[in-house]
Amino acid sequence: MIVVLVTEALVFVLVVAGILAERPRALMLTAVAGAAALAVPAAVPRVRATLARAFDEHRVVALVGGAVGALALPFALRGSPYWTFVATLALLYVTIGQGLNLQIGTAGLINLAGAAFAGIGGYTVGLLTVSAAWPPWLAVMVAPLVAVAVGTVLFVPILKTRGHYLALVTIAFVFIFNVLMNNFEFTGGPQGIKNIPTLTLFGHRFTTAPRLLGVALPAHANFYCACLLVATVTTIITRRLHDSWLGLALNTLRDDEIAARCCGISITRAKITAFCVGNFFIGLGGALYAVMVGFVSPPDFDFGYSLVMLSVIIIGGVDSIPGVVLGACLLVPLPERFRFLHEYRLLLYGLVIVLMLLYRPAGLWPAGVRRYR
Amino acid sequence: MSLLETRGLTVRFEGLVALADVDVAVGEGETVGVIGPNGSGKTTLFNALTGLYRPAGGDIVFRGTSVAGVEPHLIARLGMARTFQSSRLCLQLSVFDNVLAGMIAARRTGVLEAVVWRDRARAEMREALARATHLLGLFNPDLPARGWERVGRLPQIDRRRVEICRALAAAPALLLLDEPSAGMSPEETRELMKDLQIVRDERPGLSIVIIEHDMFVIEGVSARVIALNYGRKIAEGSFAAVVAHPLVREAYLGQERTHA
Repeated sequence: MIVVLVTEALVFVLVVAGILAERPRALMLTAVAGAAALAVPAAVPRVRATLARAFDEHRVVALVGGAVGALALPFALRGSPYWTFVATLALLYVTIGQGLNLQIGTAGLINLAGAAFAGIGGYTVGLLTVSAAWPPWLAVMVAPLVAVAVGTVLFVPILKTRGHYLALVTIAFVFIFNVLMNNFEFTGGPQGIKNIPTLTLFGHRFTTAPRLLGVALPAHANFYCACLLVATVTTIITRRLHDSWLGLALNTLRDDEIAARCCGISITRAKITAFCVGNFFIGLGGALYAVMVGFVSPPDFDFGYSLVMLSVIIIGGVDSIPGVVLGACLLVPLPERFRFLHEYRLLLYGLVIVLMLLYRPAGLWPAGVRRYR
Repeated sequence: MSLLETRGLTVRFEGLVALADVDVAVGEGETVGVIGPNGSGKTTLFNALTGLYRPAGGDIVFRGTSVAGVEPHLIARLGMARTFQSSRLCLQLSVFDNVLAGMIAARRTGVLEAVVWRDRARAEMREALARATHLLGLFNPDLPARGWERVGRLPQIDRRRVEICRALAAAPALLLLDEPSAGMSPEETRELMKDLQIVRDERPGLSIVIIEHDMFVIEGVSARVIALNYGRKIAEGSFAAVVAHPLVREAYLGQERTHA
């Protein structure tokens, strides 16, 4: 138990230090410490086994500890509204990544239209709140359903094509979505939709900075907590789905469609279920993004974001639920951290993905064996 | 009435006739062997029976309903399970996952139970895992202990067993085995014979159709043998009668030359 708590505390300190270290020397020091913290369990099997056993035995403690750490993060970042925003963005990517992972990782449906479905969620919130004056909460709840409904136009390619061909169809879908959003009058064209009203909870507006336990937090801490809740619930749901008959059916048809059909699995039903559930969470992520940022426009949902979503899954671990969380928490803040490299950071980003695919194709946290727990 | 019956079953690929007018009947609890040279249509017969190929003519009646042209997963749910000549296991998934895949069609809990009301889903999973453990243990007492390992790490003979377990997990009425001894050494083939006897003992009412090239296996397990050549049924009867049949001898050995 102590091992679990100490490990989690160490990770928390490293994360906070990594984010807040400003001077090059402090940053270098944290980078070295972080690399060492990763290298030790990677290189010494005994450490790895001890950690794995400890976390396996004290799952509840580990989860509670993780929750405390996640809730404590806005307090640690209270001086920096910007980093609170980035952390919130990472949580949105967890939500989106889990939905996308159900499609890409579990079912093998290469959906590169993630940005479009997030965009449908975001635009729905924008249209419903600004044009139709719906309450934001209601709009955020309806938006994922709209994403699922629009997704039905892709049912035919989902069922009739696979692999690269499906990827091409979904890429086309993102571009069509962007062209439409740029040209439709009612979506504001290239200007997008501005002044999307923010969420309110018991009269507390999410744009006002909260005071919690006597500590003044940046306004984005509101969204941080909301997105943390959503990301947690999403992760729990997708994990339970993954460890159920549905997850098994999807894995089986991903690996061998003919064998799956001869096992009595309805390919049509399984693929459509995975696609719709995935789009729901992707749309939910987009909807929360819209109320958080307060405006949506076509470039917020272009193909590049589909690739970021895909990288979250590849870096984290295809079909790995914890991998998606790790991938999102690394991939969203890290490029921000290296902003001082200016344009070179994109080069670095590409390099990291190439190296990952070469040396660790299963991801940083590869999918384990389904345990049915 | 027989469990499975085909009448004039015909399968065509473009112009090529892969199966022509094949009549096959399998009774309950019966084991039927299918032999024939390469390309004679044995696997095509299985693919047509399981719905992977749509018959161009004729009918397939399984458990009293016509299943010609029916989707494979619906035929499977009627109680037809099969193995494949070249193993079609999901090598990335665990041994248990592969066996449980056979039970998906008969699941009683859905998505809601998996996410919200979990007690029933968990109870069902526990029961399913217990059944998988039992099935694996029948063939090799060491297999259940390796249940959480990925199938790709098992030797060939154990993979074949897992595939048979996956088929049996669906509690089928008819089991189609497509050349189970393919790629096996003579010792492994003897092991396989024992495994087939285990299947027989475990499920006495199960009907089995087995494709085999190994005549030793066919002779050992099947009461009745059907011989195919060029997509046609050329002989049917006891093993001894079929292998002695002139058309069968001709199909395997070629035409006897008459010396003038």
